[in-house]
Amino acid sequence: MSNPHSDTIPLHASSQSDIDEIENLINASPATVLPARPPSPPRPATIPVSSAPFIQSNIPPPPPTSSNQKVPSVPVPPPLPSSTISGGSRPNIASTGFGSPPNTLTEPVWDTVKRDLSRIVSNLKLVVFPNPYREDPGKALRDWDLWGPFFFIVFLGLTLSWSASVKKSEVFAVAFALLAAGAVILTLNVLLLGGHIIFFQSLSLLGYCLFPLDIGALICMLKDNVLVKVIVVCVTLAWSSWAAYPFMSSAVNPRRKALALYPVFLMYVSVGFLIIAID
Amino acid sequence: MDLNQPPGENYANPKTCFFHVLFKGAALAFYILSALFFDSFVIIFVVTVLLAALDFWVVKNVSGRILVGLRWWNEINDMGESVWKFECLDHESMARMNKKDSWLFWWTLYLSAVAWIVLGIFSLIRFQADYLLVVGVCLTLSIANIIGFTKCRKDAKKQIQQFASQTIASGFTSTLQSAFSVV
Repeated sequence: MSNPHSDTIPLHASSQSDIDEIENLINASPATVLPARPPSPPRPATIPVSSAPFIQSNIPPPPPTSSNQKVPSVPVPPPLPSSTISGGSRPNIASTGFGSPPNTLTEPVWDTVKRDLSRIVSNLKLVVFPNPYREDPGKALRDWDLWGPFFFIVFLGLTLSWSASVKKSEVFAVAFALLAAGAVILTLNVLLLGGHIIFFQSLSLLGYCLFPLDIGALICMLKDNVLVKVIVVCVTLAWSSWAAYPFMSSAVNPRRKALALYPVFLMYVSVGFLIIAID
Repeated sequence: MDLNQPPGENYANPKTCFFHVLFKGAALAFYILSALFFDSFVIIFVVTVLLAALDFWVVKNVSGRILVGLRWWNEINDMGESVWKFECLDHESMARMNKKDSWLFWWTLYLSAVAWIVLGIFSLIRFQADYLLVVGVCLTLSIANIIGFTKCRKDAKKQIQQFASQTIASGFTSTLQSAFSVV
């Protein structure tokens, strides 16, 4: 790790030339130093990709650091990958300390908020509205989040509670507990049927599918006519079930599709009854 | 009310620390004091859970990053499997993190979870199922954050150790190389 030019120990003449040769090799091709570490593919700003479960945030992008590559601590043979991770070795690389641009650790707060909000909107569009990716559920809800479902469940509970003339608190608590527990149990149902679905992804999906029922409940709260309520609830119920269908059915064995879908439909029907029956 | 704050000097990010504590404290305070002012359970539930959810978001996305340089999230990879990712700042930046900031971060995280557990026990004793629901939700959120960040910290320590040992190994190799070239 010693810099031969600042060494006070006088070196043998031939060794000095050897060292010079080696230094020239290093400086001549600084780019060879970097590829030794597992290359990270160009990544979108939101998702730092790594094959290891854990990444260092200051992966230096090649251009800026190649000029800094005159670091004497770099060993001569194709270096160990870690030697290019500056971490604690040289301040000039680590002074960019907080990492290369596509890194979520240092983005401003407002960016995080915007990112999360846009994710909610895009998930909603994917799940509830017709779109070409519906038949490939693995791709559709890749970026699951639980904020959308949280808002929809609370909104539904609030709407039901407002519509109720008595026992408002019980209605809200029951609606919330029913929906939350129902989502968990439905997911477990799919998993126990031998289906391949990711727990949080399924929770997220079932929550987003509540959106049509939210609209139905809102309309029913505003218009008190029973016939209108029944029609609105039937329409939104069908919409919710249609939204949930591709995801649930593709997660299980085709012979067990009905077993997976029936409980979902049942839950939405019961929520529909809650909406109609509240007065 | 739920921790003894040290004298407020030398915090590197006072605004972030403030927000980190604000929502936790507000959720706890609202839950405890609301019985005096509000009759309706719905309002208590919605406001408390909303504050707890906001706190979860702030801790996970803002104060975790700024106060201790850690972040965790979940991704679904191309093969459809769910992968938990943990991220931390590089070694030097971690060493530069303000000690007071991280002290505050970890202590408030643990203490608020303990406070919710205590409140949960109270409502259990009083057989109030609806309040137990509120406490359950808030507790789930706190524990999720605790688990996420603790895993992050363990990974960070492991990473630093790996890095340290590799640095030593590479330094050793380069010393050997220069030693051989001298001969």
